[in-house]
Amino acid sequence: MEEKNQAALDIREEFAAKVKADNRKEKLMKWAPVGVLAALILVFCILKGRSFLSLSNLVSILNQWSLPLLVALGLTFVIMIGSIDLSIDGTVGMVGSLTAIFVANSKNTVNLGVLGFLLAILCSVVVGFLIGVIHVKFKIPSFMVSFAFMNICIGIGMLSYSGKPATIRDPLMMAIPKASFLGVPVITWIAIAVLVLCYYIQEYTPFGRHVYAVGTDETIPKAVGINVNKVKIKVFTLAGFCYGVAGVIGALRLGQGQIAIGTDQMFPAQAAVVIGGTALTGGKGGVMNTVVGTLIMTVLINGLTMMGVDPNIKTGIQGVIILAAVILTIKHGSAVISK
Amino acid sequence: MNKLKTNKAYFATYFSMAVIICLVLIFTIMEKSFINSSNINNLLSDTAPLMIMAAGMTPVILIGSIDLSVGAMCSVSNVLVVSFIMKFKDTIYADWFIMLVTFVTTLVFAVIAGIILGLIHVKLKVPSFIASLAFMSIWNSAALLISNSPISIPKKLWGTIDWYKISIGPLGYPLVIAFLIIIGYYVILTRTSLGRGIYAIGANERAARMSGIAVDRIKITAFAVNGFCAALGAIFLMAKAKSCAPTVGDSFTLMVISAVVLGGTALIGGSGNILNTILGVFIVSIIKNGMNIVSINVYWQKVVFGVVVLIAIAINTDRSSRSFIVK
Amino acid sequence: MSKNILFSAKNIVKSFHGTQALKEVDLDVYEGEVVGLVGENGAGKSTLMKIIIGVQPQGSGEMYLRGKPFQPHDPLEANAEGIGMVYQEQSLITTLSVGQNLFFGHEKEFMQMGIVNWKKMYAEAAAVLSEVGCEDINPRKKVIDLNFATRQMVEIAKVVNVTKEASTDGKCLILLDEPTSVLNETEVKRLFQEIRKLTAKGHSVIFVSHRLDEVLEISDRIYVYKDGENAGNMNVADATEAILYERMVGHETNSEYYHLDKQVIPKEEVVLEAKDLGCRGKFKHVNFQLHKGEILGFCGVVGSGKEEICSVFCGDESPDFGELIVKGRKTKYSAPYQALNDGILMIPMERMVEGVIRGLSVEDNIALSNAGRLSKRGMISRKRVSEQAVEWIRRLRIKTSGKEELVIQLSGGNQQKVVFARVLASESDVVILNHPTRGVDVGAKEEIYGLIRDMVAEGKSVILLGDTLDECIGMSNRVLIMRDGLVTGELDAAVDAKPSQVSIISMMV
Repeated sequence: MEEKNQAALDIREEFAAKVKADNRKEKLMKWAPVGVLAALILVFCILKGRSFLSLSNLVSILNQWSLPLLVALGLTFVIMIGSIDLSIDGTVGMVGSLTAIFVANSKNTVNLGVLGFLLAILCSVVVGFLIGVIHVKFKIPSFMVSFAFMNICIGIGMLSYSGKPATIRDPLMMAIPKASFLGVPVITWIAIAVLVLCYYIQEYTPFGRHVYAVGTDETIPKAVGINVNKVKIKVFTLAGFCYGVAGVIGALRLGQGQIAIGTDQMFPAQAAVVIGGTALTGGKGGVMNTVVGTLIMTVLINGLTMMGVDPNIKTGIQGVIILAAVILTIKHGSAVISK
Repeated sequence: MNKLKTNKAYFATYFSMAVIICLVLIFTIMEKSFINSSNINNLLSDTAPLMIMAAGMTPVILIGSIDLSVGAMCSVSNVLVVSFIMKFKDTIYADWFIMLVTFVTTLVFAVIAGIILGLIHVKLKVPSFIASLAFMSIWNSAALLISNSPISIPKKLWGTIDWYKISIGPLGYPLVIAFLIIIGYYVILTRTSLGRGIYAIGANERAARMSGIAVDRIKITAFAVNGFCAALGAIFLMAKAKSCAPTVGDSFTLMVISAVVLGGTALIGGSGNILNTILGVFIVSIIKNGMNIVSINVYWQKVVFGVVVLIAIAINTDRSSRSFIVK
Repeated sequence: MSKNILFSAKNIVKSFHGTQALKEVDLDVYEGEVVGLVGENGAGKSTLMKIIIGVQPQGSGEMYLRGKPFQPHDPLEANAEGIGMVYQEQSLITTLSVGQNLFFGHEKEFMQMGIVNWKKMYAEAAAVLSEVGCEDINPRKKVIDLNFATRQMVEIAKVVNVTKEASTDGKCLILLDEPTSVLNETEVKRLFQEIRKLTAKGHSVIFVSHRLDEVLEISDRIYVYKDGENAGNMNVADATEAILYERMVGHETNSEYYHLDKQVIPKEEVVLEAKDLGCRGKFKHVNFQLHKGEILGFCGVVGSGKEEICSVFCGDESPDFGELIVKGRKTKYSAPYQALNDGILMIPMERMVEGVIRGLSVEDNIALSNAGRLSKRGMISRKRVSEQAVEWIRRLRIKTSGKEELVIQLSGGNQQKVVFARVLASESDVVILNHPTRGVDVGAKEEIYGLIRDMVAEGKSVILLGDTLDECIGMSNRVLIMRDGLVTGELDAAVDAKPSQVSIISMMV
């Protein structure tokens, strides 16, 4: 009997140990991204030494970091509610194309100045809003709605300049990409400003809390009387805003507006968000995780480029990274059904 | 399992037919040459690759999954076929033998690729849309690595791909093959335990598993079949164009999903009829062909397909259950 | 302490799909007391809780709160009247902090210049926590970093907070539905301390649990429900585990009911054997043999590990330790289809979710587990599928407009019969019956018992997880008793020598 009692205790302890181990693993996973970033930097330092750590390369990394950061910030909120947004390539490209034709340019006589930026961003905000509304009202999975919108936006973007992209002619705007403040490119400052805004939204507004709640378990906020649909629509709209800023910056940096600004923006963003520790199931992670995630991706791409790796391989590598990150963070077990 | 046809399924059939008739009328009014025989021939032969790929996608959607990598799979197979041909074209083997070997190799590659995708989705529990998205980027990049620009097939080998032009009555040979494949799948889906398993998994995966259905194996099979079909579509595209291009499949992903959903197969899985996919395919290819004929800008076509797929899904989605959470 | 009645429910009736979940039950709660509510699964405890909190309306009957009629339409309304519920599944958002959870949905109250003033919120959260006697919980900590007992207390604090403000006298009623199911022993002790602090402040608690020892420890008064009826109401001083259990399962033994005349003596042949089988954190050291033609019953409370053992037998989960020997061959399943190939199939407990595919027709559902056998050269014979369906519809008297009707259109009881038809049609010779009579009315129960007897007479073997202890004893040739993941007893149950319930209960609790 004594032995049996001992065994009974074992069962409870085993269960408790299991829960504890899960928690420990989770805590470890929380810091893993920072470790990966450090390891990457170390590896490239060893392989490339000085040239990787040179000031010009660090500035270049910061410069390259801005666009993926902006895109990934928007995506972070979407993934935090457990949805996904595949429209990025389209929306960013569309806003980029529109920016160029709204300001002083080689193609038409429209010159809205800074208002042109706002108008272009407004377009992607509207797209984000539409994705959200269609997703929640028609109950179509978000990946499908946003996938369709990716195509729609690419179409609109290409139509806007039909053939020959417009070159930006506004001298002030042409100067922005080259300007820097405190040694950091202005473009990066803009991205950091949006980062601060997103961090504020996440941490200091009720909406930020609701985003976590919707991602963790929709039924809880519903029971408290929070309009879950509204939260979701807001999230997609906010994402649209971030993509919009990214599009404008992309156009400024390129000096002209073409759909290619958005091409291949989505994968690094998805990879960055997931690597940063924002789980695809929602409710976990946040803006700061994405900062680390985007840095990992930027450093990786920068390092690979320095090593002279074929750009086409880089796209493939991103795919592998996404898969690996998702596999590591996803829940397993026989009862889990994934569609 | 066609006895399961509910009113909704009939609605899908009639609705699709009505849409086809309307589209034909609209395009004819806009441009008379739409219904002349050369365009019809053109339309029918253009439809074949899309139909084959849609046939492969239908079982995947029936089990409630999705494969966003079909387009990329098609691209990579397309360049793979041609690069194999270019490699072997100067060997001593007969032309038809070279063709046969390259086709089989490509198809085998695609099936293995499908199995890998299926394994990752099923065994590692990665949602199919994210797993296939990752594969989309992998295959896109692979296609560009194999060949960065289009390659034409040398004239001396044209004889071996002439079969693509053969017609049986008004129907081109490729379309006949596509029809045969769909009919074959129809029989598999309705008359074999594999097919029953596919419907059961889509309708209720947990219950299917508990009933002793080999869920994992069936899901992987669906992805393998999809890979096969994507590669076959790629071979058809190659035969049609007598060349390959590393981005040829890109636009197909959305068209294939549109066609399947327009055919009445629900995105959540478990209901739909592969014969209706034929109707969906025709809607898509009529829109595409019609827009070309009335010379609508290529870019508009992207917008139109985006909207079409949304409308098709919105019509097909069952929104009745209020507590249903869609992510 | 003066004893005023805070809440009372009178003659509550509730039925689902024709089966009565509650048949006229009563419940009174005095101020400052803990009322324990016990009963087997399906006795109606959870249903009553849902009615009190306003998730479901009752069929008939009245509820009174502080002497006034009380009829909430949703949980928010109940909260406003001073009744709150802590659900079995935790309702905290684990990714947020304690304070953020306490005021979730009320953040606007702390907004200053577009920013949520977290400092103010945490100060108030600390006040709320001290109200329920948990001054030591840091409101800034994330819920995920707390142990389950503390989480449970936060949950209670959250409920107290919303209800207390609303109720006129500041006294509230907290419903706890199985609050200890995820806690270990020390955590349970902690929870009980906190509950006592709560009642000392004049709040009342209804404590629902299947763990009788815990109910006895914490409650002042205990209600026992059985099959949706009051089966007792006693002060804790008059109750023991044995008394409670006897009230819970009651006496209805009746040899005809269980077709005892048809009970057969099993053959020598062993079809299934477990050797030191175990699953980490679920069960351990399980040894037994199942003979051909035997009904082996598993008894144990929820959480004793009997359900988990079944999912190992049917291939849904793989065991971590030990061996499973089927028909003399050592096996290890990773999916149920492999078990089916060996002739093992389970009738799952959640039949509507796991047992039938409601979007498919009756005939397709019946053919689900044996499609392979109905085919010729790979093609399924539609004729044989429909013949089989017609046959089973007749034999099980399934009420349907035809074999092509969708299962979703059948009544609950008939959907259950479709599951039985499927399992019987599969011709498996080891059938695991996981609560086969759950949610079935008395007449249908007897039919099902008859079916089980027929199955055994044909030489099949059955593992039975009974809905009641009585059923388990009545039907089985042998019973295994489980407790906390271990087999604590094995008793023969021959026709003329059925063991008494009391002897089994002593091994279960």
